[in-house]
Amino acid sequence: MSLTKATFATRRAFGERVLERGADDADFVLFESDLGKSSLSNMFGDAYPARYFNMGIAELNTMAAAAGMAAGGRTVFVAGYSVFMTMRALEAVRSFICYPKLNVKLYASHGGLTAAIDGVTHQGSEDIAFMTTLPNMKVLVPADSVSARAACDLALATPGPIFVRLMRDPLYECYEAGETFEIGGSKIVRAGRDITIASYGDIVFQALQAADTLAAKGIEAEVLDLYSVKPVDAAGVLQSVRRTGSLLVAENHQKRNGLGYDLAALLLKEQPVPFDHLGLDDRFAESGNYLAMIDKYGFSAAKIVSAAEQLVMKAWHRC
Amino acid sequence: MASRTTELDLIAQAVRFHIIDMVHEAQSGHVSPGLGAADIVTALYFETMRIDPNDPDMADRDRFVLSKGHSCPVLYAALALRGYFPVEELKTLRRLGSRLQGHPVKGTVPGIEATSGSLGMGACQAVGMALEGRMLGKDYDVWALLGDGELDEGVIWETSASAAKYKLGNLVFIVDRNGLQTDGPCESVMPMEPIDKKFEAFNWKVMKMDGHDMLDILTTLQAARDYRSGPVCVIAKTIKGKGVHFMENTTEWHAKAPNDEQYARAVAELRAGRT
Repeated sequence: MSLTKATFATRRAFGERVLERGADDADFVLFESDLGKSSLSNMFGDAYPARYFNMGIAELNTMAAAAGMAAGGRTVFVAGYSVFMTMRALEAVRSFICYPKLNVKLYASHGGLTAAIDGVTHQGSEDIAFMTTLPNMKVLVPADSVSARAACDLALATPGPIFVRLMRDPLYECYEAGETFEIGGSKIVRAGRDITIASYGDIVFQALQAADTLAAKGIEAEVLDLYSVKPVDAAGVLQSVRRTGSLLVAENHQKRNGLGYDLAALLLKEQPVPFDHLGLDDRFAESGNYLAMIDKYGFSAAKIVSAAEQLVMKAWHRC
Repeated sequence: MASRTTELDLIAQAVRFHIIDMVHEAQSGHVSPGLGAADIVTALYFETMRIDPNDPDMADRDRFVLSKGHSCPVLYAALALRGYFPVEELKTLRRLGSRLQGHPVKGTVPGIEATSGSLGMGACQAVGMALEGRMLGKDYDVWALLGDGELDEGVIWETSASAAKYKLGNLVFIVDRNGLQTDGPCESVMPMEPIDKKFEAFNWKVMKMDGHDMLDILTTLQAARDYRSGPVCVIAKTIKGKGVHFMENTTEWHAKAPNDEQYARAVAELRAGRT
């Protein structure tokens, strides 16, 4: 576990891996909707023009045409902004990709508030809710470039639809090269005994920073990276909270129907413990600086620290 | 040719009989959209398309996508009569546990190439299939049957642009131009004429045919297949509910099941060979 500087946007790491895999796997193709320069899928188009289809600014058609291509058994990546892929093209994803379990891999850039500066129309702040609701859909959210590259490999190796949520902005590296990941897995990126902080994507780094601050205050937080948002590692979460006694979920997404809602339901059924949840609280965000934004809306490292302190107090009082 | 068209006309009548029969049995489903498309679907499955019911997944088979998925009784009937699955199974339409879902689902019975039923989406999938054929250098054709009301969907025009961009000479849209949609005449619900000029403006080759004249259907579909420079849109003039006079040219029978008396009348009419 090393925290080095912010280097790679996960969209870039994923896009580069797609490009690399394209060299040795001539069997998959890529569809996109005139956002190749943003999703960085244009690198694939430049290298493999015969396997690259730019369908223009027409996300629903792009998704349904990808389904038609995948119906022949081919693996198809569809690249785009998370917000458009998950809403404008939602019906094609649901009825024509998830229902027939086609090998379509959604390469979704600009997830959560990382499209912060562009404003609400470009922010994928409900994408996890839409995608986790769909039967047969799996959801991966890499936290750094190492896990983003692994997500591409997992997407190619796993039959059926997968949604990979990627971030626009460079993220800090959480993993060393060679770290392995699996569908339904999770990682304890920092061990601790006093509270479990679960997150995914860009907020994993915020949780790690928060854990440093908490440690200085005598609270040892365990930080879980739930990169496999669906299926989620329920056993791993339960094991951790049975040790720590409380769970704080922080996510760059609406709280409603986000990962926190899934885990709250899990705890209520299996292991009721003090619980709190940070995310967009039933509101839209705005245009602005990404880091300032996640702080304003309540899921930055600083906000995780104060929520964790209160939750630990609550857990101790309960004992 | 004359005897072959007579033969195909008879098969189309059998398809119509099964449409009435299965929707009556289920007491649910769409009757008149299938009756109107029966001649075209029969021509495709019994003459035009390169298919093999004994090898339904044959790599170079032609693909058919019923984009107007609600008219699936016509597809189920044609597939069963062509030998893809037992004809007796038609009576399970829309029943719990049946392979014959209310709208076509790929992977249920053999021969269904695409899940469809949400209008517009079948056409887009057909474009994806044609792109794959083009990419792999295969010479199969992709045929998609669209409703004329379906043209209201904006995604039809998105996908028409993409088919033209890739000059998909292996793709044919057949527009079932019966002039009626659920709420009434197409031209009052949402005027779309001139349909031919719209497709032409998207750089498609447009052809027209009488969707109930078997010879015209066979000739036009062959011409559509032979045209390789880009996608073809065949506008087929049809009569919704064709073959059962009280169901013809009315929206009433779009999504209604016949009761026993209506069923008997419809069957008698089809047996009498009225076309």
